[in-house]
Amino acid sequence: MNIEALLKSIDLIASDFLFLDSQDMNIPTAGKFLNSLEGLTGEAAELGIVPVLDVAKGMNVILECVILDSLADKEKAISTFERGIALLQEIADEYKKTGGYSKEYASYLQQAGAVTGMVIEAKGAARAVETKQADPPQEEKQPDAEVSGQPFLIQDESLLRDFIAEGTEYIEEIEVNILNLENNPEDKDYINAIFRPFHSIKGVASFLNLEKIRGLSHNLESLLDKARNGELSVTPQLIDVVLAGADALKSMISSLKEALEGRNGNPLDVDLSDLEKRIQNVDKGIEQERSVKKLGEILIEDGALSEEALEEGLKIKASNPDKKIGEALIQKGTVTPKQVSQALRKQAEQASELSTIRVDTRKLDDLIDMVGELVITQTMVQQDISNQENGTKNLTRNIAQLFRIASGLQKVSTSLRMIPIKQTFQRMARLARDVSKNVGKNVVVEMEGEDTELDRNMVDEIYNPLVHMIRNSVDHGLETSEERLQCGKPEKGVIQLKAYHRGGNFVVEISDDGRGLNREKLLKKALANHVVNNVEGLTDQEIYRLIFLPGFSTAEKVTDVSGRGVGMDVVRQAVEKLRGKIEIESTPGKGTTFIARFPLTMAIIDGMIVKIGKERFILPTTAIRQALRPTREAYNHIMGQGETVNVMGQLMPLVRVYDLFNIEPEKVNPWDAILIVVEGATSSKCLLVDQIIGKAEVVIKSLGDGLRDIDGISGGAIMGDGQIGLIIDPEGLFELSERC
Amino acid sequence: MDKNIKILIVDDFTTMRKVIRNLLKSVGYENIIEAEDGAIALRTLKNNEVDFIISDWNMPNMSGLELLKAVRADSELSKTPFLMVTAEALQDNVIAAVKAGVSNYIVKPFTAEVLNTKIEKILETL
Repeated sequence: MNIEALLKSIDLIASDFLFLDSQDMNIPTAGKFLNSLEGLTGEAAELGIVPVLDVAKGMNVILECVILDSLADKEKAISTFERGIALLQEIADEYKKTGGYSKEYASYLQQAGAVTGMVIEAKGAARAVETKQADPPQEEKQPDAEVSGQPFLIQDESLLRDFIAEGTEYIEEIEVNILNLENNPEDKDYINAIFRPFHSIKGVASFLNLEKIRGLSHNLESLLDKARNGELSVTPQLIDVVLAGADALKSMISSLKEALEGRNGNPLDVDLSDLEKRIQNVDKGIEQERSVKKLGEILIEDGALSEEALEEGLKIKASNPDKKIGEALIQKGTVTPKQVSQALRKQAEQASELSTIRVDTRKLDDLIDMVGELVITQTMVQQDISNQENGTKNLTRNIAQLFRIASGLQKVSTSLRMIPIKQTFQRMARLARDVSKNVGKNVVVEMEGEDTELDRNMVDEIYNPLVHMIRNSVDHGLETSEERLQCGKPEKGVIQLKAYHRGGNFVVEISDDGRGLNREKLLKKALANHVVNNVEGLTDQEIYRLIFLPGFSTAEKVTDVSGRGVGMDVVRQAVEKLRGKIEIESTPGKGTTFIARFPLTMAIIDGMIVKIGKERFILPTTAIRQALRPTREAYNHIMGQGETVNVMGQLMPLVRVYDLFNIEPEKVNPWDAILIVVEGATSSKCLLVDQIIGKAEVVIKSLGDGLRDIDGISGGAIMGDGQIGLIIDPEGLFELSERC
Repeated sequence: MDKNIKILIVDDFTTMRKVIRNLLKSVGYENIIEAEDGAIALRTLKNNEVDFIISDWNMPNMSGLELLKAVRADSELSKTPFLMVTAEALQDNVIAAVKAGVSNYIVKPFTAEVLNTKIEKILETL
């Protein structure tokens, strides 16, 4: 870097300025000068020419004031800027000649300070006075935002309606993200995801002159802004206050809605002072942060120690660095050993609350993956040894030991990803309350087994189906308060959420104590909607299951809450996509219970291994209803209708899997082979396979990007002998068979 | 002043786009299209002859500033006037936008007249 380049840069600014008439210092030009000055300061900094840095800084401030429109006398400021250019040239010239600048230039900074109304301190590179918010005088000066007469007041009903609808959506989004943030307080993305909706609501509210909504969202927004910049930490108090704020906004918006409908006189007549105070408290960080306290502090809190005594103890400790403070205090006789040990225990408890670490889920996934591979390899080794006759007793025993360790390791690593269902339940409870309010019902939510753990990925996945079930229970399951009182039930309906582990599954039950499912009504509806054509001889359980069929909806009217045409069939599909199952129990007049079972993790599947030709496939056991070898008579082939098999009185289509996958089978006749009855979302079909090999838990592997969307195959798994078996996706296979 | 220019409004909040659209209409601008985020805006700009961009600062996926930078970096779009809408005149934000080549900025809430003046001023300098 040499001084010539600097001189050239300054000349460039000078010539740019020459072509500018002072009236025309608009924003793009100011931006251009800012960028030139930035480049120039970079050069000057490398050369160590402090006077240039200082003068440029003064000029920078002027430009910024031009941009922020905060200049009292713009013309004067611009001529000051011009003088700055001349001064820069002079300084650089003299540096070139003498390697220094002897004249005084501090007065320039004073002049620049005078025209901009700021204090500019010399000797520094970038900016003068760091004010985050543009200075207040500038705000007043902005002729635009003149508040008098509320010129921006927009009284447009359709806009207001849009705002209500969109605002409500945004607040729901906020709620979801707050709960996410609570789980990941460090995650800036979640803060942003909450910040932005508040910001948007604020913006529109300002146009619609909804001052209370604007003010509250502004305060919440600035709180979040501080959290985002790390000025505040995301404490439970912060989360609470933001949630409370979201609630308040929501209720204001809904009362706005009522006002529009003429149901309420004064929509925004709410007292926010408590909430505002809470926001302020959190803003100022009044709530104390949780951290491990020092032993001395705990002792003082317990009243076992005075501050003076502590100081003395600390002095002793200072002179004997090896000595612990507790020892020093005991030695001096200020506290008893018992008091110290109690305090130490307290300290340990506090510390243990903090003894968790955050781990990137991808790392966890990798770990779990690798452990999965370890287990598989280990099984392979085991098989090799049992195949070899000469395997020694010792080796077999050691391998068995290895097996135990490996499966223990797998269990532990899988459990790392488990989190309690509590959060989801709390969201459900909240939702149930909101929904019941919407439909005018009185509901209490009871929870059981919130601590039951589930794979993190699953938690997110099961959320939507659960939401749907809750909505359904509140909307259709529970009666209105009047109806309940008439039946002699308590006015408040009960929704119960229950979670537990059973048989390697995670089970969620959602019960209501409402009217129960009506057999006759279901049957009538099913026939009317052509969901089924024959209802003879259906068991209760089968009748209840009708509500999971597509096109079925028992709601008499379309309500705001559920019954928008998406029925329980969507729930069933979602549950099955997660390889879960859903069942219903219902007693008329007593209530209905939905029982959804999910596998604990998406990474492992319980499967049945079948053989077709030389290939082995894995069928998810959740989809299998039965396996059989039919009689010759049970098999039918009707031209144009395809092949069917009579399975216990029911005709089911036969799917020759070997045809679909182009495999040479061992057995072609159904009565020689094995049929597996597999349930899809809407129908059951018989798959023709050569042989059932056995049952196994396999770790699901993706087939890689190139083989992602193969019809009928959902993935692969490494089998005990190291070979790969493909996992069949029943739904996809059915579709494939219908196309062929 | 040409009221027939094609104006693109970029904001993720539908109601906000409608507010701006209504304000623009009230001062005679009728030729208005919308985009709900920066990425969509860029696509829209490629497929339409847009004369003027009004964009929000705070948007998901691609912020107003990122959109501005992308527009200025595109040889075909680099001269298109760009008016940034912000909720408050945060000095850092405004300066960053100006350095990135914004034509002007406007602080919410604003009246149709102020918006009109800003647009006209920008168009004058073209």
